[in-house]
Amino acid sequence: MGYPGEQASPNERILRDLMISQARAIGIRAVVLLGMGAAAGCGGSSASARPTVTAASAVGDEESASLMEHHRYHHHGGVTLFIAMSLDTLGVSPEQRDAVEEIRARLYHAMEPARAAYRNLLDVLADGLDAASFDATKVNAAIAQVANVSGGAHDASTSALNNLHAALTPPQRAALADKVVAHWAVWQSENGSETDSTNAVERGHLATLTTELGLTPEQIEKIRGPLADRMRGVPRLDPQQIEAHVRAFCDAFRGETFDARTLATGNAANVRLVSWGAAHLAHVVETMSPVLEPGQRATLARKLREHATHDPGARERS
Amino acid sequence: MNGAARMGLLRRTTYAAILASAIVATTACEVGVGYSNGYDSDYPPDAYIGTTEPIYFEGRANYWYGGRWYYRNGGGWNHYDREPPALYQRRVQAPPMRRNFEPSRGRAAAPPARTGGWRGDRR
Repeated sequence: MGYPGEQASPNERILRDLMISQARAIGIRAVVLLGMGAAAGCGGSSASARPTVTAASAVGDEESASLMEHHRYHHHGGVTLFIAMSLDTLGVSPEQRDAVEEIRARLYHAMEPARAAYRNLLDVLADGLDAASFDATKVNAAIAQVANVSGGAHDASTSALNNLHAALTPPQRAALADKVVAHWAVWQSENGSETDSTNAVERGHLATLTTELGLTPEQIEKIRGPLADRMRGVPRLDPQQIEAHVRAFCDAFRGETFDARTLATGNAANVRLVSWGAAHLAHVVETMSPVLEPGQRATLARKLREHATHDPGARERS
Repeated sequence: MNGAARMGLLRRTTYAAILASAIVATTACEVGVGYSNGYDSDYPPDAYIGTTEPIYFEGRANYWYGGRWYYRNGGGWNHYDREPPALYQRRVQAPPMRRNFEPSRGRAAAPPARTGGWRGDRR
């Protein structure tokens, strides 16, 4: 390489061209890498898969807490219940209101057999707490009944869901799908964490009952191990199966045309979700009962009876 | 142009391109908010989405949360850097409807109530 103003020899020109091309290549690579990094950062933030557990547990306001409580004690209807609950905060125009309210009532009507079975289960569990003794035959029969009737909720609601799709605007359909996904995420965060040793007391029934019943650390320890053992005997809930139905429903519902009858996964997903939720709740209560003081048992029994009489769809049918 | 000057120009051009792409990349990401497991995540939590009525604007459901309007964009959330006047008007007229799903928690189950304790005032 020569000095400024100096004529370069052929070899120097070749060397200089080589350096320039290398510098250019480095620059291009740097820009490409930076762009890829930025794209990955953006893509990771806007298109990443939804995590199983989100920040829902961190919400401390009254309304969010009420939703978490609801999803701990009301499993009847499965995904159909998520859809019906989503209507409560969808935001519809005055012109749409009557039609949507009528559809909402039909959805809850479709879930009524499951709600009645679930009410029976809660009463059986409350009776067991009062007596400090559970009739295993009655508890198992109540769980089985919940499972038996929950399978029909989707089929019974297909007409209402089709009418709902027709009644909503595209943005409202998309918003409803987002809400269904949100309900499913909250349901997951509020159920099943007791058997996860890494999150044993942060979420779910045991976490909230620790506060509500004033459980001592010794009581928690006595509950946690046996509860995990009991839950091993319950057929495992595969979130992917429920997720597949939630995704199928949401993708279809966002579309311009929709036919709920084509969603073949609806009944099976509801049965799995509802059955697991019922068995889980029963095992939580049965495992806790012998560890609780009489006053704690009475408080929990009262809580179960309050939930048994709570009808989320009562607004339109009363 | 001699070799050194050419190299200098090339170097400056390369740096300028890198800097420009970094600015573009940063700006492009600024409004994108994705999913996170962190407790301090900025996007609306699931329980908030499940209990809050959105405001429909520009063909999207918008949620006022943490001092910003959030809306879905594919699999993630975006927010407006500057609050659209129409959404501002809606917000100051009345806070968003929120739903309490458990009447035993001290509030009527229905209809949804306009509440003063919503998370939108957090920031």
